[in-house]
Order: sequence, then C-alpha cells, then structure tokens
Amino acid sequence: MESFNRSTIDGFIKKYQGGKSSLIAALQEIQGACGYLSRDAITYFSIAAGVPLSKIYCIATFYRSFSLEPRGKNIVSVCLGTACHVKDGENIMNKMGRELGLESNESTTPDRKFTLEKVRCLGCCSMAPVVRVNEDTYGNVHQSTVPKMLAPYRKAEKR
Amino acid sequence: MISCKIDGIDVQVEKGTTILEAARQSGIRIPTLCHHEALTPYGGCRLCMVEVTRGNARQIVSSCAYAVEEGIKVKTATERIIKLRRFIVALLLAEAPEAKVLQDLAAELGAEKPARFAPRNELCIACGQCIRACSELVGVSAIDFAQRGYEKKAASPYFQRSEDCIGCGTCYAICPTKAITLRDIAEGEQFVQPDGSLVNGPARIIDNWKVNFEMKRCRECGEAFAPAFQLEYIQKKVKLAEDFFEVCVQCRP
Amino acid sequence: MKVSGIKDLQKLKTRGMATLSPDKIKIMVGMATCGLSTGAGTVFNEIAAGVKKNRLNAVVTKTGCIGICHEEPLVDVLIPGSPRVTYSRMTGEKAAELLEELRQGSVMKGALGRMDEDRFLLDDTVRSYKKGRIKKELLKVPEYANLSFYKRQEKIALRNCGVIDPEDICEYIAKGGYFTLAEVLAKRPPQDVVAEVERSGLRGRGGAGFLTGLKWKICSAADGKVKYIICNADEGDPGAYMDRSLLEGDPHAVIEGMMIAGYAIGARQGYMYIRAEYPLAIERVKKALAVATAHGLLGKKILNSGFTFNISISQGAGAFVCGEETALIKSIEGEWGEPRQRPPFPAQSGLWGKPTVINNVETLANVAPIMARGADWFSSIGTKKSKGTKVFSLVGKVNRIGLVEVPMGTKLKHIIYDMGGGIPNNRAFKAVQTGGPSGGCIPKELINLPVDYEALAEAGSIMGSGGLIVMDDRTCMVDVAKYFLSFLADESCGKCTPCRVGVKRMKDVLEDITAGKGTKEDLALLESMAEDIKESALCGLGKTATNPVLSTLKYFRNEYVAHIKDKKCPAGVCKALITFLIDKNRCTGCGACVKVCPTNAVEGEKKQPHRIEINKCIKCGACFEICPAEAVVKG
Repeated sequence: MESFNRSTIDGFIKKYQGGKSSLIAALQEIQGACGYLSRDAITYFSIAAGVPLSKIYCIATFYRSFSLEPRGKNIVSVCLGTACHVKDGENIMNKMGRELGLESNESTTPDRKFTLEKVRCLGCCSMAPVVRVNEDTYGNVHQSTVPKMLAPYRKAEKR
Repeated sequence: MISCKIDGIDVQVEKGTTILEAARQSGIRIPTLCHHEALTPYGGCRLCMVEVTRGNARQIVSSCAYAVEEGIKVKTATERIIKLRRFIVALLLAEAPEAKVLQDLAAELGAEKPARFAPRNELCIACGQCIRACSELVGVSAIDFAQRGYEKKAASPYFQRSEDCIGCGTCYAICPTKAITLRDIAEGEQFVQPDGSLVNGPARIIDNWKVNFEMKRCRECGEAFAPAFQLEYIQKKVKLAEDFFEVCVQCRP
Repeated sequence: MKVSGIKDLQKLKTRGMATLSPDKIKIMVGMATCGLSTGAGTVFNEIAAGVKKNRLNAVVTKTGCIGICHEEPLVDVLIPGSPRVTYSRMTGEKAAELLEELRQGSVMKGALGRMDEDRFLLDDTVRSYKKGRIKKELLKVPEYANLSFYKRQEKIALRNCGVIDPEDICEYIAKGGYFTLAEVLAKRPPQDVVAEVERSGLRGRGGAGFLTGLKWKICSAADGKVKYIICNADEGDPGAYMDRSLLEGDPHAVIEGMMIAGYAIGARQGYMYIRAEYPLAIERVKKALAVATAHGLLGKKILNSGFTFNISISQGAGAFVCGEETALIKSIEGEWGEPRQRPPFPAQSGLWGKPTVINNVETLANVAPIMARGADWFSSIGTKKSKGTKVFSLVGKVNRIGLVEVPMGTKLKHIIYDMGGGIPNNRAFKAVQTGGPSGGCIPKELINLPVDYEALAEAGSIMGSGGLIVMDDRTCMVDVAKYFLSFLADESCGKCTPCRVGVKRMKDVLEDITAGKGTKEDLALLESMAEDIKESALCGLGKTATNPVLSTLKYFRNEYVAHIKDKKCPAGVCKALITFLIDKNRCTGCGACVKVCPTNAVEGEKKQPHRIEINKCIKCGACFEICPAEAVVKG
C-alpha cells in the first residue's frame, strides 16, 4: 500500500471541483506532490472528485509527462530533438543506457536512483547534443564525457 | 431548413443535420465504422469521407461529423473518395484481418490486405463506440481510450479488472469488429480465466475488462437473467424499490 | 502602484530608463535557458560576488537571449556614457578578469561587439553614442551592425530580448511597453484594431501562416458575448526555440500583444498554453503576470477604460499534437489532446464552444509594434505575401548557431552562409530542414530560396515555426525521414486511421530500408501512402506528417536507392549498413578506442595498428568519437 497525503490531495480536489483547475492540472499537482501518479492517489481522487478512473487512466497514458510508475530520484533526460539527433544524440542515449545498466526498454534503474528518458526538445540547440540531469543542463555531450557527467549524482546517491 | 446538393440531388434538412444523416435521408449509402446513430459522432475512422465544396473551397471531411451548411455541394463517391476509402480499409485489414465487417467492406470497395504489412491481429480498431456507449448510453464510464497513437485502444484502467463495469454488455453488442468477448455461463458450468482463476456459473464474463459477474436468478422461474451487480446499479440509480429486480421481465405481472 | 494612465506609465518609464542606463557600471548576464545551460548562473554569481568584494560601483542584472547562442554565456557591460559591450564565452575566470579591468577603469580585450545605439522600436527613436566620446579601445570592438551574425537582422518580435531585464516591468515600459495598449484602449475602437492588423498582412508565426487579422475578424463577428484568446506556447517542433526565448526574455511583449488581441476580438479572458518542458518560461510568465496584475495592467478597468482582462496559464503535459488548435483547446479543457474536424473553426466555436482566437507567441509579439508603428510600416517589410520579419532558429551543422530575426524574403543562402558562417569543419552543405516534422528538406540547388510562406511551400516544405536545421554530407536523408516519422508516430493522437495506422506503417517501411531490408517497390509504396495520408488525415499533424518523406524522396532519391539496391548508407549513419574499421595507416596504437569500447571489440598491441572485431562491434560510435588520429572509418 503506497502512502500519499490525503489532505494534500483534498486540496487539489477542492480546486478541481471549484473549476479552478482542469483535470490535467489536478493530475499535474498530484504528480508534483507524489513524484508520480500513484494508483492509490488517483483512485482516491477518482472517488472523492467523482471522475471516472478510466478517464484519469486515459489522460495519464496519453500525456508523456505523466508517470504511472515511481520515477528515479534523478531524472536523466537525453534530448533527441532534430538538432541533437543529427549530432549523434541517439548514440548518447544508448551510451547513457549502458552506463546506467538499463536494458533497452527499461527506463528506471531497479534501485530507483535513476530514470532515463528521451525528450524533444529542450531548446538548447546551440549546445547539441544536450542532456539534462534534474535541473542541470549539459551541452556538447560526448559519449566519453558521460561517466564524468553522472559521477557527482552517483556519488550523492552513495552517501 | 438548409438546402444542399448531395451527389447532384437537392436535399433539404433541419439545421444541425450531418451530411451522413442527410445522405441517409436521401437513400445514399456512405459506409461507416466508428459511427452509431445513438452516439455522438467521433469522425475518427475516416471511412465516411466525402468531398465538400463550399464556395471556392473543396475539402475532404468525415460526413458523420460535418453539419450541413447552406449551399454546399457534396460528392460521396468520387474516384478519389473511393481510392481513399480503399486505403482506410486496407490499413485496417492489416490490423484485424479476421474482422468480418472489414472483410465485407473490402469486398464492397475492392480493397485488399496489403501484402507488405505483417498482420497485427488486433481486433480493436480504436473506433471508440464501446467507450461512447458506456459513457453516453449507460452512464458508467468503466472504459476509455488508453495510450495514444498506434497503441491506442479501449481499455479498463490499468488493463486490469474494471471496478465500475456493470456487465450490461452494451460494449459487446456495439463493437463493429467483435473485439469484445462476452460469455454467459449457465448453472453448473465453469470457466477458467486467463489468470487461472475459476468462475462458476451462472455468470457473465467479459474478457476485455477482466470482469465476471454472478447472475441474478428470478425468484419465480429461477432463470439467471442479468448480472446482479448491474441490477443493483440500476436499482440505486433509478431509485427503484429494493426488491424490484427479484423477478425477471418474463415473470413480471 | 496602480497604473491608471499615461502619466503613471511615464513615471514607470522614468524608473525603467534609470535602470536601463544607470549612472553606475551595469553588468548584464544573459540568463535564458541556453545561457544558463552553458554556465551563465556560475558567471552571474562570480560577478555578483566580485562586485561586492571589490566594492565596485556597479549593478549586476540578468537579461534574456539576444540570439547569439553559439557565444554563450554572454555578459554585457554598460559603462555610463559608453556604448554597451558584449563579452562572449564567459567563464568564472574571465569574469574575474573583467571585474579587475573595470576596477582599473579600463576595458577587457576580446569583446564580441558593441552597440552604438539604443533603439526604441515602438516610437522609432534612437539614442546614439557620440563616436568622439567612445574610448579608443572600444572603437576596436566591432559594432553589432557589422557582425555577420547580426547584419541582416531586424528585431521586431525580439526587440527587447537580451536588452531588458525580463523581470522588470519598468524596463519594458521604458522601451515603450504598455503605451501602445494605453493608446489602443483610449483611442482605437476594436474594429479599428482588427482592421489595422489585417492591413499589416501579419500571418500566424506558428506554422500555418493564416492571416492573423482575418482570424480576429471572424472571431470578432461571431455570435456570443463570451470569447477567448489563447496564446499557443506549445512550441513542439524540435530545434525551434524562439517562443521559449521570447517568453523568457520579454514576457510582457507577449502579454501586451494578447491584451490588444483580446480587446480587438471582445475577449475578457486569455490563456497561455505553455509546454511543460519550459519551466523557466512558465516561471517568468507567472512573475510577469503577477507584476502586471499588481500594477492594474491586468484585471478590471485597465488603464481607466472599460476593458477587463485576465490571463491564466495552462500547462502542457507532453503531447506535440496539442500545438494543433483544436487539440490544444481539448487540453485546456482537461481532456486528451483530441483534434477535430473544421469547420466549425475555433474562431466561431472553440474553447468550451465559445469563439476563440489562438495565436502563436511570436505572432502576438508583433502586435504592439504594428499598432504603434502602423500597418503600412509593417507591410513595407518582407515580400508581397509574407509581411514583416520572422524569427528563425539556425541550428544543426552550422558554425554560428542561434536565433535570428530577418525580414521575410531573406535568402536561405544569406542566413546559412553570411549569418551562420557556413558548415563547420569545411564539410559540404547538404540540405536545410524547415518547418519541423511538418516540413521538408531544401537541397543545395534551392539555396537561393527566399524565406517566404509561398516559396517554401512550393519547394515542398513549409515555413513552420521557423526551425532551420542545417545538414551536411554526414547526415543521412533517409535517416532524417525515419526520424521524423518516428517522432510523428510517437506523437500521433491515434484518433484517425490514416495517421494512427498509416504513419506507423510508413515508419516500419523506413526502418526496413535503413536496416537494409527495403525492396524496390517500397519507394512507390511510400509515395502512394504519403499522398493518401495527406488527403485523408483528420488534422494538420497527419496531413503534414508525410512531408519529410515526400521531400527527401524528391531531392535525395539516390540515397534511398543506395539503401535499397546497394544496401549502403552513403552518409555513414544507418548502423546496419555501415561497418566500423580502423585505417591501419592512420592508427597510432594509442589505445583510446580500447578504453571506450563497451564490448571489448577492439584488439591490438600498444603502438601497433588496432583492429575491430566486427562480430563484437555494436556500432556505438564511441571509438569513432574518441580517436585522436581520425583513424576510425565507416565503410
């Protein structure tokens, strides 16, 4: 049983029912509070706000920014916009996956420390290829600089 | 009343009538897949495409979702339209070659399954009829679209057992490709679900939403006539007497 | 302070002018996303700390993106009485050096450019520095107007980006901001405003290029008292970031434009739909809205007129299709991004069924200039059917990457070679992709094409949002087509059969071709499917999805044939069709490749030519990237 803060969700429900936020905005707030859209949290929302769970699942699986699985503590986003793609972005993505020990279809490491995802586009094309780790953006990334880039985050996880 | 021309025929319709409805009124057949008179139009399958000329502008539109405008000229079966309908059916045939409705349409339009594409064998063609029926007609909204793009299909939340489904079977009845599997098993029968669990009759099982329901037996004749959960839902919603459904329709005085 | 009229605006203008040109040294650090991601944050902190430590009589502020992204981080220095000077590629160390020079009253060497004039676009005035008064060392710094990257630019939408502090409304007002709104509210009836914008010839800058004034006219004439104006800031085209820069660098320009648009069509409520991937833009817009509201420039009875207007932010959630108007509306309503057929057009029936105008960020940034300077002025810029300027993001294989704003009709050749400095490493230009995933590739032969809606459409592409992705001989055009199809298959909403199934199946064919499994019938199949999808798809995404394939087939058919017939990728990109080899004559045996190979596929003795074991090679390209002797080749 996952835990979530009922009173926090209640606040979001109030805003939604008062027409102050759309269903998408409410779900964005839930994800902001819980880190992802936990099944318990959205089931609670569904019942309390009177929104069919099927509709919430529809929206959660339509929009890529929602995650129904817990995400890693660190989010590694490799930009695969066109400018980054023509500058070898795919190879950087593959390298990142290998470096984090992920199988090709996995996106979160088993220890939930890192989530790898692709993103299009971060709008930093002058530094293509670009990788974002949490709030830090790195430009002119090469496969050889990937380990160094990840090092401080891995170190922080060890503590 | 609004006047337009469909395939050269002058047609007069009430405001708000769609081209599809107007055509049907005039005896002109336009094939459809995602459309149903009892549901709001979706306009997604694109099989009902027609050419509309509005002033100087010519456009291809889904006739089921286009309200007739004064003076428009509609062509429902030009060479271009037929070619495009064939294209739609061909694409869908590669998705669900076993669907009879698609095979019949292919025969009617002269479409063929494209040899270049490996068949997907996915009967759900994301037409949304089951979803709209569940929401608009039944009012339960147990199912909705999940995912987007190629993977889009009708689903219960998490593709797991729907908690909201009442087993009415409207989705099963309305699905054009028979993508939904519903079975009623009798007293004494047993069904093994894909997860290995057993369901004892009399029961209704809908595979797609992973639900099964105990059937209610009539107090008079003993017939298992509807899922008990469904009857409870209707009784509460319509505010009927608690014992309203103890007796089946046949046995009602 | 509540702004109730021109007098109040003048007061704030005075305040803004004082901070724009203070009587102490002013150091501005470019702090838009591109600046921050190259280290501008560190530079800012270093400078702020250094100023404090050295007790310099200086103020340190932030500014937006001036467009010279390839030179970031940028730091501008304004010494009272002197023109503004820009320093490029700043680091913590260079910042310390800069401060030392300032402390000594001299000028650091190596400046990128100097701005001899402060332009005030909205009232067409210029404040120049007397050449005689400029320090000798500064005269050595090239004028911005002479910088190749800057020469052909004409800043209208980007007029304030990189010049003002985006979080200071007074600086925006000092540059003429909100005076236009005041003028419009006081003296121009809504129909007048619509007519002026229509006469200007402004067309939607988000991609479709529909006449903005006409859209406003239709909405204005639609029945109903409740109307909406939406700013489309979903900027989904990969490689395009002009809207982000505008929102981060000059949010008030977009807000004022929205307000004038709202007034013109009779809307009291506006929505800014901003994509989730732009957190800094969302933050800057939120702040700008709050400040504008606090000053009474949003809300009831704005500037003592009867005009009430509010703006809410609606955040995207990661769906490219939500850049399409009808899908965007669904998203604001809290539904999945479901496009619908038109008619009815949003201008007649849009958000919650009410008449709605949806305008792109850059379109709105042009509104105040048009109302301030007039339709005649605006339409004197550009070509016959494409008026005004367009912001382009010049990215990819080009030396000077950044944002440029040029008059419509400027030739691609000038943008890529004169402004962009041509292709890096002396490689050959192959194509420039315009219009994002809805666009096409323009080959070498058409490099003289002017950037104009009609010219680009005729060449098989579109203007789109202004992304210009330059490609060289190492870009595989079949791979580019596959890339865009994969993108669109990923982003397809799934409603209509042609896009949901057709685009995906086309992607499958492209994957076969790039894997060496294509057949000769595939090209005809792709062309026929592309035409059918174009005609039968429901919305703009599907209808334009096949442009990349059609245009690459048109201009680069030989590459497709090479992939299918010869099973070769001439550009050396498609993994299945290339082999990584080590040139024995170039290899020095340094072993760098051995260290980076993830599958231990490289063998060799130290200082001896190495060899790649083809069976173990996963073609990751790590050795190709690292080899100092360029001895790894793709065969």
